[in-house]
Amino acid sequence: MWEPREPVRQGGLIRYVHDGEYHCYNPDVIAALQTAVRSGDYAHYERYASLVNQRPIATLRDLLRANPVGPAVPLDEVEPIENILPRFDSAGMSLGALSPEAHEALAIAMNRLGARSNSGEGGEDPARYNSERVSKIKQVASGRFGVTAEYLVNAEVIQIKIAQGAKPGEGGQLPGHKVTEMIAKLRYAKPGVALISPPPHHDIYSIEDLAQLIFDLKQVNPAALVSVKLVSEPGVGTIAAGVVKAYADLITISGYDGGTGASPLTSVKYAGSPWELGLSEAHQVLRANDLRHKVRLQTDGGLKTGLDVIKAAILGAESYGFGTGPMVALGCKYLRICHLNNCATGVATQNDLLRSDYFIGLPEMVMHYFRFVAEEVRILMAELGVRKLEDIIGRVSMMEQLPGETRRHGRLDLQAIISDCGIDDSQAQFCSDPHNNPFDKGELAETILEEVLPAIEAKRGGEFRFDIRNDNRSIGARLSGEIARRYGNHGMADAPMTIRLFGTAGQSFGAWNVAGVNLELEGDANDYVGKGMAAGRIVIKPPTGSRFETKDAVIIGNTCLYGATGGQLFAAGQAGERFAVRNSGATTVVEGAGDHCCEYMTEGCVVVLGRSGINFGAGMTGGFAYVLDLDRAFVDRYHHGLIDIHRINPESMEAHLHHLRSLIEEHVRHTGSAWGNELLDDFRTYLPKFWVVKPKVADLDSLIESLRAAA
Amino acid sequence: MSKHPLQFLEVPRRDPEKDAADVRILHYDEIYGSFDAADAGSQAGRCLDCGNPYCEWKCPVHNYIPDWLKLIEEGDLFQAAELSHQTNSLPEICGRICPQDRLCEGACTLDDANGAVSIGSIEKYITDEALKLGWRPDLSRIVDTGKRVGIVGAGPAGLAAADVLARKGIRSVVFDAHGEIGGLLTYGIPSFKLEKKVVRTRREILQGMGVEFVLNTHIGENKSFLSLLDEFDAVFLGMGTYNYIKGGFPGENLPGVHEALPYLIANNCRELNASLPPFPYVDLADKRVIVLGGGDTGMDCVRTAIRQGASSVSCVYRRDEANMPGSRREVENSKEEGVRFLFNQQPLEIIGRDRVSGVKVIQTRLGSAGTDGRRRPENVVGTEKILPTDAVIVAFGFSASPANWFADFDIGLRSNGLVKVGGSDRLPLQTMNPMIFAGGDMVRGSDLVVTAVFEGREAAASIAQYLGV
Ligand SMILES: Cc1cc2nc3c(=O)[nH]c(=O)nc-3n(C[C@H](O)[C@H](O)[C@H](O)COP(=O)(O)OP(=O)(O)OC[C@H]3O[C@@H](n4cnc5c(N)ncnc54)[C@H](O)[C@@H]3O)c2cc1C
Repeated sequence: MWEPREPVRQGGLIRYVHDGEYHCYNPDVIAALQTAVRSGDYAHYERYASLVNQRPIATLRDLLRANPVGPAVPLDEVEPIENILPRFDSAGMSLGALSPEAHEALAIAMNRLGARSNSGEGGEDPARYNSERVSKIKQVASGRFGVTAEYLVNAEVIQIKIAQGAKPGEGGQLPGHKVTEMIAKLRYAKPGVALISPPPHHDIYSIEDLAQLIFDLKQVNPAALVSVKLVSEPGVGTIAAGVVKAYADLITISGYDGGTGASPLTSVKYAGSPWELGLSEAHQVLRANDLRHKVRLQTDGGLKTGLDVIKAAILGAESYGFGTGPMVALGCKYLRICHLNNCATGVATQNDLLRSDYFIGLPEMVMHYFRFVAEEVRILMAELGVRKLEDIIGRVSMMEQLPGETRRHGRLDLQAIISDCGIDDSQAQFCSDPHNNPFDKGELAETILEEVLPAIEAKRGGEFRFDIRNDNRSIGARLSGEIARRYGNHGMADAPMTIRLFGTAGQSFGAWNVAGVNLELEGDANDYVGKGMAAGRIVIKPPTGSRFETKDAVIIGNTCLYGATGGQLFAAGQAGERFAVRNSGATTVVEGAGDHCCEYMTEGCVVVLGRSGINFGAGMTGGFAYVLDLDRAFVDRYHHGLIDIHRINPESMEAHLHHLRSLIEEHVRHTGSAWGNELLDDFRTYLPKFWVVKPKVADLDSLIESLRAAA
Repeated sequence: MSKHPLQFLEVPRRDPEKDAADVRILHYDEIYGSFDAADAGSQAGRCLDCGNPYCEWKCPVHNYIPDWLKLIEEGDLFQAAELSHQTNSLPEICGRICPQDRLCEGACTLDDANGAVSIGSIEKYITDEALKLGWRPDLSRIVDTGKRVGIVGAGPAGLAAADVLARKGIRSVVFDAHGEIGGLLTYGIPSFKLEKKVVRTRREILQGMGVEFVLNTHIGENKSFLSLLDEFDAVFLGMGTYNYIKGGFPGENLPGVHEALPYLIANNCRELNASLPPFPYVDLADKRVIVLGGGDTGMDCVRTAIRQGASSVSCVYRRDEANMPGSRREVENSKEEGVRFLFNQQPLEIIGRDRVSGVKVIQTRLGSAGTDGRRRPENVVGTEKILPTDAVIVAFGFSASPANWFADFDIGLRSNGLVKVGGSDRLPLQTMNPMIFAGGDMVRGSDLVVTAVFEGREAAASIAQYLGV
């Protein structure tokens, strides 16, 4: 009933208001944590921890209590924090979202602790490789920004981010004003232009596709662990089982609480699920299927204190991700204005002044935070009567459900979370296999590497020939990885070698290709050709003597050049669906393309000498394309949102004319394409049938120039 | 969203113009000017609208600061005044004399950046301007409950209680021993911080809301407390603390040594053309003056002495500047007006034969932290010296001054003499006698206007609950 005596309440659902909705990161919590990490005094941390651990019931774990398994043990008998710290990761937060200073401080802190920081989406400055500023976890997200062979070989863990707990199913967006010169360079994009991370990975439409991506990554960097970040949701156990069978080494179950300040308002509430649900389900399903020993299980999403770690361990996690906590340690005050680029604490901004004058974060603050958390874990372990964290992982019998504070709390039944599901005790509670090695040993790749390695080490180039079959996957990736490790993405440009292959290539042919690797395939290829290519050249042509018309036949599969940042691809035939999605630098000529060509493209040049499908250039913010439109229907097939199309006027657009012509000439030179030849022979007739396709924001006259500048 | 996200960088923090020190010491008017609409709007626009509004969190009454800043930026003055009054009964007064640098502005995210939003000045602007333009609290929809509450003390606590009760349809009668409302607002706090016409305007507003004032009435002397219990459904006590804390050193009773509050009250009364017999006017013109104590009361004394024309004014404080309890802003203002600060000096004795001639002090340094977390000063042996002076004002604060009739009515006290309220079987701010509620300095010990306001408001809510409305 409306009561005029009472003022309308302010609510405080999204923004903290005194006496309103409880917020886990409320001003008291933030202030207490910042005091603790600045002083380095554990007594201050205890105040913070008690504010968190004794908060009104706000999460499922607040309704669970861990009971001792025996008498308390002396603290000095509990394993030291050095054993606990390596279990901590900082969550993936991109450079772009964070200021370089904050991002690096976080990396330094985690490295000094013997823990790991996560690059987040968006690449990493090579200057940070092999230094204490390196992010040991490199993220591969849907935008594939800056994902190159060199980036991947500089990782201890490669994390495939399927989704984010706080906003499952949503992509990301880096607003234009946060795309500075430096960010643009690392992401192979243009300063000032918004960058879209698509909701899905365009190379993952099934669990087999994920297995393929994991294989691609293990080929380019066999030493790395591959991690898959999943979102806590009903059924995540089944997904996790599939992911282990796809040979992931690590799984993260991400809960809804990892809300970044940059999440859109619509995903701040009622999106995602608590990690308690997903973690316990994953742990139970993996044990029931004899898979738990093969994979490390991590959880993240709102972990704040040692008590959180203890409860996560009991529910089945052996590794723990922290996002907001270390940010707050660095000075973040949870302003929730990250998307505006005006973060007054200098943490989540690219503004020079805010970064230089207002950022006060130091690696030591983050180190204090994690040491405190680890120390609290030890103290709690002592109270619980255990000496090693391993002793409580998955030990759900320690957990007891509390009645809670309200009747509704009391009606929740959490037994399913704290049940061992009757699974045999002999089933592992945590990972014991160092690596989850794929069944496919990549034998051809090893053979090629063995033969080519001397030439790489001597940097002398050469020509090599191999036969290839459709079960030889990711050919080229192994090689590119070895080169990138030694010389980086471009170090072997001056000593190129040509690998000639004959037959049908399996998936991911030429993935993560680098300079110096020129792959020439006579035959055809499956999906994902040139995925993540940084440099070098891939040529695919039909076997000599083929009789079919190249422009009418598909020669490469779906999602080729996804996330490529450079290099060239010439294919004498049609490409499948989603060609050059998220291309950010490759130049390519094909003779036809399926639907969604050039979606989310940010840089590079795509020439389609034949029909292309619908939705061309959706979300395309950079680069450009030349499309031959013989049936005059392209105008109905391109996406009118961000791009426009132009005819090439031979008088006023000479540069485009020459550029297009020279690309077709190159295509013909490499592939011998008869259709290419015909176009050149009658260039005057065909020229008016081409469109230049470019983002609306780009200037027609400077396209070619900026392509050269980016290369 | 028309707002420019980097406005806080481009528009620096600004306060309203302040009169130059050499001019302002010639009178007792407020030293700060006021914002105009444009200034208020652009200063308000510096607010980042944090997800965690630290200002609001730190504010004892939890003002909806970011919300009214936004309204001011958008030019919606009346809406802002309405919202400002939803959490604060005396916003124009708090805007003037709250120690914002320790509360909202000190917590403002931008305080660590390039200067907090000038929240206090905007708060003052909102109500001053809105009242000028005719805005009044709208009680037209409030139905009278028929309940009546008696309030003892027209200080901030009593006024706040009366305000909230009126908004709940409960009529109140406020009794005060003095001839004007306001308590320390009128009699203690000098007018260069708070001009008395501001309190008078507030009195009109409250009367317009149906609050009745019965002044020059000392409960327990010219009217019995028992009669209040008979006449009203509940009683609220907001009587303040008026026991002066002594230094406890020799010479405190010498002529020329004055207590801070009587000194200030007498001076204020002269300004008000009123007289209060127990407080003789002390004129320090052409005298050398030493004020002992570094709190806000001390600051008011030094600045009053300056305005009286003292030949020199020094403030002696036993800790260092960083550890002064008073508002930074007031220390700054005092310095500008010519006050000399002697830090790390512990007074030992007031010297003089038949009147004061000097103060013996010893140098201190800060030792380890005491139970309150503040570092205790320790004397440095052999550093005694005598500071010559003609007058000394002792400003060591106040302790509880419970009335002798409290016990008769079951109004329980804590060991320090403050009134005991709340607890598990009591409503917030309810005394041991369920019908009687109390708040402000007499409950918390001498504190701030804004905390007294908070308790008055909370007590009013408890009273409403107690009365079942
Ligand atoms: C010199 C000085 C400067 C200050 N400056 C500031 C400042 O800048 N900012 C700030 O926030 N705070 C300041 N304070 C503190 C602030 O004034 C007090 O905390 C606040 O006024 C307390 O409010 P109250 O309502 O509890 O009591 P009071 O303001 O003390 O009001 C109590 C009232 O009750 C009346 N009363 C008492 N007993 C009886 C009785 N038996 N019958 C009838 N009436 C009675 C008194 O006459 C008085 O009017 C200052 C205090 C002093 C002394």
